[in-house]
Amino acid sequence: MIDPGRWIALAASAPKPRWSVRLIAAASLAIFALASLSVKLAQLQVTEGPSLAALARANSVHRVVLEADRGIIYDRHGTALVLNSPAWNVEVVPEAMPVTTPARQAEIAELSRLTGVTQDELSAAIASADPYGAVRVGPSLTEDQELAIAERVPSLPGVSIARHGVRTYLYPTILGHVIGYVGPIAPSQARQMEARGYQPDELIGKVGVEAGLESRLRGIDGWADVVVDARGEVVRTLAVHEPVAGESVYLTIDLQLELATASALAAGLQRDHKKAGASVVVDPRTGEVLAMVSIPGYDTNLFTHGISQADYTKLTTDPLLPLLNRAIAGQYAPGSTFKMVTATAGLQEGKITPDTLLGCPSYLTFGGWVYHNWASYNLGYMNVAKALALSCDTFFYQVAARVGDVTLARYARAFGFGQAEDIEMPGVQPGLVPDSIWKQLACHVPDLNSDSCRWTIGDTVTFGIGQSALLTTPLNQAVYVAALANGGAVLQPTLVHQVRDASGRLLLKQKTVVVDHVPVSASNLAAVREGMREEINRPYNMNYWFRSAGVPADGGGKTGTAQWGGSGLDLPTHAWFVFFAPFASPDVAMSIFVERGGLSEVEAAPIGVQIMKFFNDNRVAIQSSIGAN
Amino acid sequence: MIAARSVWRRLDLFQTAAAALLAVLGIMTIYSAGADWAKQSLWILLGAGAYVLAAALDYRRLMPPAAALYGGMVLLLLGVHLVGRSALGARRWLSVAGFPLEPSELSKLLLVVTLAAFLGRQPSLSWRRFAAVLALAAPPAALILTQPDLGTTIVFAAILVGLLFLGGARPAQLASIGLAAVVTIPVLPLVLHGYQRRRLEIFLNPSSDPLGAGYNLLQARIAVGAGGFFGQGWLHGLQGQLGFVPERATDFVFAIYAEQFGLLGSLFLLAIFGTLLVRVLKAAAVAPDRFGELIAGGVFVMVFSQVVENVGMNIGMLPIAGIPLPLISYGGSATITTLAALGLVQSVVLRRRTIVHERQAIHPEGFDPATVRLMV
Repeated sequence: MIDPGRWIALAASAPKPRWSVRLIAAASLAIFALASLSVKLAQLQVTEGPSLAALARANSVHRVVLEADRGIIYDRHGTALVLNSPAWNVEVVPEAMPVTTPARQAEIAELSRLTGVTQDELSAAIASADPYGAVRVGPSLTEDQELAIAERVPSLPGVSIARHGVRTYLYPTILGHVIGYVGPIAPSQARQMEARGYQPDELIGKVGVEAGLESRLRGIDGWADVVVDARGEVVRTLAVHEPVAGESVYLTIDLQLELATASALAAGLQRDHKKAGASVVVDPRTGEVLAMVSIPGYDTNLFTHGISQADYTKLTTDPLLPLLNRAIAGQYAPGSTFKMVTATAGLQEGKITPDTLLGCPSYLTFGGWVYHNWASYNLGYMNVAKALALSCDTFFYQVAARVGDVTLARYARAFGFGQAEDIEMPGVQPGLVPDSIWKQLACHVPDLNSDSCRWTIGDTVTFGIGQSALLTTPLNQAVYVAALANGGAVLQPTLVHQVRDASGRLLLKQKTVVVDHVPVSASNLAAVREGMREEINRPYNMNYWFRSAGVPADGGGKTGTAQWGGSGLDLPTHAWFVFFAPFASPDVAMSIFVERGGLSEVEAAPIGVQIMKFFNDNRVAIQSSIGAN
Repeated sequence: MIAARSVWRRLDLFQTAAAALLAVLGIMTIYSAGADWAKQSLWILLGAGAYVLAAALDYRRLMPPAAALYGGMVLLLLGVHLVGRSALGARRWLSVAGFPLEPSELSKLLLVVTLAAFLGRQPSLSWRRFAAVLALAAPPAALILTQPDLGTTIVFAAILVGLLFLGGARPAQLASIGLAAVVTIPVLPLVLHGYQRRRLEIFLNPSSDPLGAGYNLLQARIAVGAGGFFGQGWLHGLQGQLGFVPERATDFVFAIYAEQFGLLGSLFLLAIFGTLLVRVLKAAAVAPDRFGELIAGGVFVMVFSQVVENVGMNIGMLPIAGIPLPLISYGGSATITTLAALGLVQSVVLRRRTIVHERQAIHPEGFDPATVRLMV
């Protein structure tokens, strides 16, 4: 064996490499090419680096909106009237969908099959969306659809199922007009709502309390910054800002009284083959609305899951206007229920006293025109209380003529007529208080001396019995009768008893707001109230309904049969009944309205009696509430 | 054993070090791409074995069986067409003992060897022999183009032109190839497959279809740019780690490398490739014969064309063609072929021309005749 240590390597030296011209050319080409790549790299990574890095970030870091739960609406005792029930929607992140056209088309076709949305609609929705954001496609899923799609989601890149809270109204028709519904933001509102921080696909309150208390119910959406991978799956969360649930609203409504009011009104309407009406029950001490019903109603749940065009067309073209909340937006002449205003004005202005006797003939002539009483015979001389109880038209023609239109209008406004109540829902109509000035402004005829512009004595006397151009709403009437009940305080009606945050902490407790005091002395008001007491205690007429229902006629009421649609003797009428009880210290006031009703004491009053019966039987329960804790 | 020691001392360690460094960077990048880095490590190990074997093998012994090698290459490629496995719309793989083998990768090296053998026989290139070279290259190129594999065909064309150039083709012959290319380009859209034509269009206007065919290019560009100067750091590339860059362990591996290591790392990588290429060319310059020179030159063209096309398409300078980045991209056939090719270059280096200084040997038995034979 050879010892390697003793061996010296063969001395061999490499000659200089033979770099031929072509080898040098090849080397030069390599160096040139690599240098070119380096220059381009430097341009991409240094010059364009920041903007491309921002694109990379935009690829993977997304802000996800964490939807805040909308506030729950309860009645005054804490009974839930609306729930946020879970609903599922398909969401698609366009960026995460397959890249190749065939694969993408196949996925859209599969999605179309699962959701029932046409492929064209899906493609359009996806094409117009933010490629990195989740776009909601199709209507809410049924439970079966949700299960079917959830099963397929893992094989559909970019598709996910998102859970949303959807409003479910527990009394969708009866409380529909009060609570309203939520719906998508109208395109005309889009920019304005975006400025207030709304997402384009967010639902907002459209009508009723849902709209009126939108800012309290909405809550504050949270967000999370998440890193997603190319398949749209969240890899990690960078930051979270938790959403704040909307505030819980406790309405002044008593659910049981609301149901009783609705069924009494519905039964009354049905008995007389009438289709439409409204009723508002308030607490005359506080202005709290205990019940508000407008018939016909509509199913507000139709709107929350996306109403079909057919259903919507049916609602908007129905001649009975089911979408109209007659309680706040139906404007009608008050008829005889207005006579308390005329009486108050006559007494307070010194034109009559409680003891002044005026005649009640079957007709009177003013300005060459004949104005009739409801009775075709002379009822004789009477004081104001009896005139109210008998609802003598000719008596109040005389009082109105003495008071004058402008003064009478002043008293009407003092009672709250002609002003939209400040209540927690949009769409409240003001009604109309006419006088000579109004007629000049409203006639729209160039010659102010023409007949249609000139206020006549006839306008004044019919104004005195609640006709002329006078308009009011059932809510307006309830506020008015409450003022008569409580000694002349015109209260701001309210639907909100309390507001609490999601954890139950009290945020707001409604306080009684007095809008105005009617300028009337106690003795004069007592005379008016006496008339209202006598009206429901007259034998054989109104009193019959109380006796037959077993309800003590302890209170004050007034019926009204208002003509509408022009002037003349044989016009269609609306029926009214306004009522408060008990007489000495009233704790309930109400207005009942029957559209195209006949005689008010036959059609409207019995409804009020039925409501009062329920109220009497449940007074303590109704007046209690969730309390201040 | 003595002989081996003295021979291995001539090994071009720069070339080995550059290849090793690339392999390590490759495994790191493949790991960051979430691909099977362990398997790639195995390919590297197998490739290292092939490297050593190829270096130990006297490349000159490949000269006589060159025709057989050529025949074997064509048969392999034919085999792909007949019994190959399809994936992504192309038939490229043969199953060998359960392993997917991509003969088109191996054929790159076989083409280098066979063309070098043909061109290496005579110092000059007659028009007849020029035509013969083209005729030799045409069948395997056609077989690969119809797999379809545009990328490898481009590499084939580069090897052919490069070897003709280094093999002493006359300027007129080279010019005729250039002319042929100019004539062919207008016809190209008619010959290319739909997806290949689309890639060309996208290259010319990448933002025309950001979610469709331009997606790859755009995402790769974003990744490279997002790397900035210093890079996002290993395993911290948003584009690469979250999967926005497609084919991120193979065709677009450079993009995710560049995202993680930045301009600094990219220039470093190009510098290593530069070193490797220059060392391979130097092997050509020291080769003892034209065959060796052309083998080294062919391997140079093979590696060079792939680096330029791959990096070029990653940064949007060249149209997309499925070409791996040598030693970085994931893939057994390509990795092993590249390492075997570099090993073959080492075989040339080991058998380089030497000037033997006859000295008195201290060794009692004098020269080992085997050593002398090996050196000359």
